[in-house]
Amino acid sequence: MGDAAADSLVSLQVYRYRHGDDEVRPVIGEIEPGLRQGDLVAHAHEALTSGTFTCYAVSQPDDFVADELCFVPQGEHCDILSIRTNGWQRHHGDHRRSLVEILNNLAAAVACGKLRILDAEEIVAEAAAGEQVLHFDIRDSAELTAAREAVDDVLREAGIDDKTRKRTTLCISEAVTNMLLHGGGHGGMTLRRLQDRLRVVVADRGPGLNFLNWIEPPKAKGQASMGYGFKIILDYLDAVGLATGPSGTTLLLDRKTDN
Amino acid sequence: MLRTTIAQGPAPTVFLAGEMDLDCADTLRDAVAEAARGAQTVVLDFAGVEFIDSSGTGIFVRLCLDMKSQGTPLLARNLSPAVRGVFEMLRVPELVGEDVFPG
Repeated sequence: MGDAAADSLVSLQVYRYRHGDDEVRPVIGEIEPGLRQGDLVAHAHEALTSGTFTCYAVSQPDDFVADELCFVPQGEHCDILSIRTNGWQRHHGDHRRSLVEILNNLAAAVACGKLRILDAEEIVAEAAAGEQVLHFDIRDSAELTAAREAVDDVLREAGIDDKTRKRTTLCISEAVTNMLLHGGGHGGMTLRRLQDRLRVVVADRGPGLNFLNWIEPPKAKGQASMGYGFKIILDYLDAVGLATGPSGTTLLLDRKTDN
Repeated sequence: MLRTTIAQGPAPTVFLAGEMDLDCADTLRDAVAEAARGAQTVVLDFAGVEFIDSSGTGIFVRLCLDMKSQGTPLLARNLSPAVRGVFEMLRVPELVGEDVFPG
């Protein structure tokens, strides 16, 4: 995401500090050049040992730059979310969501444990957990509809109530749509059964999430993205996992089956 | 896939059926454009909509705003609880105006 992030009006990078390490390492994107390892380690260590979510905001009104650094303790490690808003201003009367709102939504979801940011090793293990129930390669809206309906049947057989089923298939639609529009135009949707949950894995080999895409979709589609897909996913599912980088994006959408 | 049927009259109505997702823009726009010829308002009947996501909602919102600015506002009726739930979550009445949803 390096160059793309530098050109973007808004970007999110995620770093990780493990207890005892002497540096933080990037999980999404690259460490911003202006950030010093020593400072990041010190703040991450403090957040981890005190078990306290900490957020620092730097606002420079002269050039409309506002940065946020969120330190989120996660037990053995601390996730650090770096949100940059280079000159971005909310368009009044615009129906699209504020990108800053989207990114803050993401940060809050990580902080409360709903969203897990996964590194390359973690996503390989998590995306292969349990047994495969369904798999679809998806390139267009018709294939998305078929995949959505097949998952709906499995959820019904698992005894998931009507409202929860509808919400789950809505989330699948949001994730796959994002893949079709921004993830290279095609990818896979796999439904897996784990001990206490059903997991939908949506994976593409696109260029990685560039958060600017959410507000400027390809013009050919002739529509404005509302930027709400991720909010729906985070609000309606039991747990979400995300790994993204230059070789693709994978989302894990979990619906618990044991309650 | 979204399917449309038009009932012409003093208040022309576009009956929507099927799914409203990222692919529905052209179908919806074409039907509304046809119904809107010479009309003062166009009614969208959502009774047959089985599924809508944020892409479908975004297309509807954009069209509502465009039609309003062209002087032929849309009215939406017969929303299922599922469609209504998505619209409320995405604050659609706030974006397009409560008057789009009479009753």
